[in-house]
Amino acid sequence: MEEKKKIIQIKNVVKNFGDTVVLKGVSLDIYDNEFVTLLGPSGCGKTTLLRILGGFIDPSSGEVLFQGEDILKLPPYKRDINTVFQKYALFPHLNVYDNIAFGLKIKKTPKDVIDRKVRRMLKLVNLEEYGKRGITELSGGQQQRIAIARALVNEPAVLLLDEPLGALDLKLRKEMQIELKRIQQEVGITFIFVTHDQEEALTMSDKIVVMKGGEIQQVGSPTEIYNEPANEYVANFIGETNIIDGKIIDEHTVRFEDKNFPCDAAKSFAQNELVDVVIRPEDLDVVPREKGMLKGIVKFQIFKGVHYDTLVETRLGTSITVKMHVSEDKPVENKSAGEKISANSFYLDSEDVEELNDDRILDLAQAEAWNSETEEPVSIKSVESNIRKETGKYSVKFTTLAGTSITVDAHVVRANRQTSPVFQEEISAMEFFVKTDDIKDSMALDTDLKTWANAQAWSLEDGTDVAITDVKYDFDWENIEPGEYEITFATEGYQYKVSTTKALPDGTEVGLAFDPEDIHLMKKETIPG
Amino acid sequence: MRINKFRLMTYPYIGWIIVMIVVPMLLIGLYAFTVPGNDVASVKFSLDNFARFATDAVFLKVVGKSLWIAFLTTVVCILLGYPIAYIISKAKGNKSMILILLLTLPTWINMLVRTYAWMGILQEGGVFSSICAFFGFEGVSLLYTDFAVTLGMVYNFLPFMILQIHTSLAKMDNSLLEAASDLGANRVQSFLRVTLPLSLPGVVSGITLVFLPAVSSFFIPKLLGGGQYVLVGNVIESQFLTAGDWHFGSAISLIMAIIIIISMWLTRKIDVQPKKEN
Amino acid sequence: MNKTSKFWSIFSKTMMGLTLLFFYLPILYIIIFSFNGSKSLTRLDGFSLQWYEKMFADPVMMSSIGYTIAIALIATAVSTILGTFTAIGLSKSGKILRSSVERVNELPVMNPDIVTGISLLMLFSALAVSKGFMTMLLAHIMFCTPFVILSVMPKLRTLDPNLTDAALDLGATPFQAMTKVIIPQIKPSIIAGALIAFTMSFDDFVISYFVTGNGVQNISILVYTMSKRINPSINALSTLVIVIITISLIAVNLIPLIKRKAFDKEK
Repeated sequence: MEEKKKIIQIKNVVKNFGDTVVLKGVSLDIYDNEFVTLLGPSGCGKTTLLRILGGFIDPSSGEVLFQGEDILKLPPYKRDINTVFQKYALFPHLNVYDNIAFGLKIKKTPKDVIDRKVRRMLKLVNLEEYGKRGITELSGGQQQRIAIARALVNEPAVLLLDEPLGALDLKLRKEMQIELKRIQQEVGITFIFVTHDQEEALTMSDKIVVMKGGEIQQVGSPTEIYNEPANEYVANFIGETNIIDGKIIDEHTVRFEDKNFPCDAAKSFAQNELVDVVIRPEDLDVVPREKGMLKGIVKFQIFKGVHYDTLVETRLGTSITVKMHVSEDKPVENKSAGEKISANSFYLDSEDVEELNDDRILDLAQAEAWNSETEEPVSIKSVESNIRKETGKYSVKFTTLAGTSITVDAHVVRANRQTSPVFQEEISAMEFFVKTDDIKDSMALDTDLKTWANAQAWSLEDGTDVAITDVKYDFDWENIEPGEYEITFATEGYQYKVSTTKALPDGTEVGLAFDPEDIHLMKKETIPG
Repeated sequence: MRINKFRLMTYPYIGWIIVMIVVPMLLIGLYAFTVPGNDVASVKFSLDNFARFATDAVFLKVVGKSLWIAFLTTVVCILLGYPIAYIISKAKGNKSMILILLLTLPTWINMLVRTYAWMGILQEGGVFSSICAFFGFEGVSLLYTDFAVTLGMVYNFLPFMILQIHTSLAKMDNSLLEAASDLGANRVQSFLRVTLPLSLPGVVSGITLVFLPAVSSFFIPKLLGGGQYVLVGNVIESQFLTAGDWHFGSAISLIMAIIIIISMWLTRKIDVQPKKEN
Repeated sequence: MNKTSKFWSIFSKTMMGLTLLFFYLPILYIIIFSFNGSKSLTRLDGFSLQWYEKMFADPVMMSSIGYTIAIALIATAVSTILGTFTAIGLSKSGKILRSSVERVNELPVMNPDIVTGISLLMLFSALAVSKGFMTMLLAHIMFCTPFVILSVMPKLRTLDPNLTDAALDLGATPFQAMTKVIIPQIKPSIIAGALIAFTMSFDDFVISYFVTGNGVQNISILVYTMSKRINPSINALSTLVIVIITISLIAVNLIPLIKRKAFDKEK
């Protein structure tokens, strides 16, 4: 294959705005007739790099060579590079024809030549009849095409495109992706395209440059980037995927989820090296449970037109089970004052006693008082209790201004916690009392159960909160009877995203299977600092 | 590095504002803190001008009166301006635009000319006293009174207040009021709890636009208050154009500027406070 | 409900009626009395044009009209050009430069006119410039330009900054980008700024009063000095001012409308 010509060489380009470093020394070669995509989230420096190429900002240091010559000294209007701007930047005071002709008129091109070229461009972007239209009369997709035509008519050697499809809706975006690729192939020049959409990058590009935090993470063809991501960041950014902690056993084996699996990629890593294991959702097969290399249950499925995005949980998260005491207690009525009052007995962590105040007690007991006739709430004026730090049963009395009162029990107990060494998490919850009506009237039962049980989970590594994603119980909340029930709270466990064409009801027990060549391995990302 | 050619375009104006705005402002400061010497070169730093001002009851009284008239004008402008702005903002379709146009039209016409017209209306035998005479009060002349001066100021500055309040009312999202009534507020409640607090910024900028020219005005008191009617502006004018004591005049201007800055600052504080409480 | 809305309708109609009467009464008064048959400012004695005749015969009045219009036109032209260029330059400059110029630029707008007036008076005498037409013109340019900048700046801010970049990208020099792309976009704001500058200059009294000399008077100064004696010619002069301002307002608002109509017809 013949050697391609380097058209742009970016050498160690640094850019900082005040104290923030936007580009941390980027080097990149771009070849003739390439469709190059700069891919990354907002703030990764991709647009800044593009604007440096266009000549709209100067780098703080570094070199940019265009066809072998330094172009940093050249203003934008002297560069053989044109740009399609974000939101197009079409001139609203000019019509379609004059927008496209703008650059040629500036160069004092003869009128007949302008006319010919503009017509050819309109034809290229399939908008031949639109020359006389005003810019505001065009749809987003049409404006997009005009912006491309306006840049291409100047016959640049390189076309820069700054998130040009960002403002279009999904269907149009798909159409324009194909259209853009066609135009690039037809005019045969280099396109440098900036986007945050990985799918867009994968469909259109010859070469993808993945960026993050002002640095290039990986440069490669779409298949290289997709199949051999350089690190966890690229793997995650390029598509939905499963990343699991693993360890190399020998050159054919990797261990994860406490099991050894054959793996082709293991040979390029050292024995006992810790790695990130990547398995793509489409490489996972759903099989009967007994044939599965991993076993789990279906959490939920979302239909995506052709396939189902399925979430399979192979290992439950950290969980804790507590008792719920359900009673049918009626509120206490004070006929002379025309008031009713209600409250529940409650459990309380002995460690929390010190921070206890009246408001907290009112919350824990869910104490409420109201006017019997109007149902208007009445405020509770006094809370009398003898709660102490020692475990045991204490009594609490709530009284309104009119003297309506109720007494409930407060059980001070030791904390009820479960620790998970696998996930390095801890979860806690308390036994609690409720009334049947509380459950029947609940608008968001899972959230209410969490509140009543004061269920919390946190990471043992850094103390941050961990979400409780699962609340399990087996009663029919609409027809609940007084009695004792068990409630289980759990955090999220190991879950695999699987794409499958089979419809599987939630809770189905399944097995997961995969081939040795579908296990991709990446170096563990070292967290700087 | 390439030179930002656009920045070059600002240089002529920067030079211009230094000569025409910054230097003149500094001159006021220079004059205010000096007293004339025997010749121009021997001006001396001094606080005499301020001392003279602070010890002379006449000047303090003038400042007090100027503040009082400006305050009165501002209050009247709020009391009249708010309902007017509210009515306009509730008018349907084109009507509110036409009303705003009708209110702004007179402001384009020379203030002096319009103030002069009030002289004829208010003087004895004029339109106003004819109306009074009709009700049996003969020979009423309002010209050359506090009332006339305040009326002149309200007349000149009320449109500013109306426009400011109207802008803040007009840009208010109608769905906020719908939300308020959806949440159970009646008309009065949603006015007091939603419309009024949201339009307060408009009232505050209206106060700025009314109080500031009112406190410094000197031709309105001269025309409608008469030759003997003296507010701060008149004192400054006479120091510069008849008494010829520029040092003292500059000191008074500086004092006036400080009073204005303090009152603006107080007004903004009032605006900010309720927000902080919430 | 019905009762309150009926009350509200009557209340708002009365209120608006009285407000409009309040604002237009002095203007009507001036116009009516400019045609008065006698010298009285309170009693109408038939129709006459004598005050207009007197006005046109009075060289002081005529020269004040001349000065006012000449200064307003020159000050508007200069401040519009200066203000527009500065605003465009500022919109492309760094934050520090922009905000400090904007800060100083606001001083003449925020300062009481009388303070601006005396500060300029001191400047001119410090520079030993003799007061007259020139000083008044400079002062007018000084207080008009900030209004042009304040009128143009917000529109510039809403412009897509990529428009300028796009023009440069397509080969336009910065100057071409300004004349071919930026100015056409902000034209309405420039016209609005020019209109504000014109009426500010045309109506100014306080600043002009302090910086003028050598018998150069604009209409406002003339009305102020003449108002001490009864002189119905002032009414005629004022009516003229009202007519000029009204015509220029109508012209500015109608010309684009007529243009568009003509354009539509062409289509």
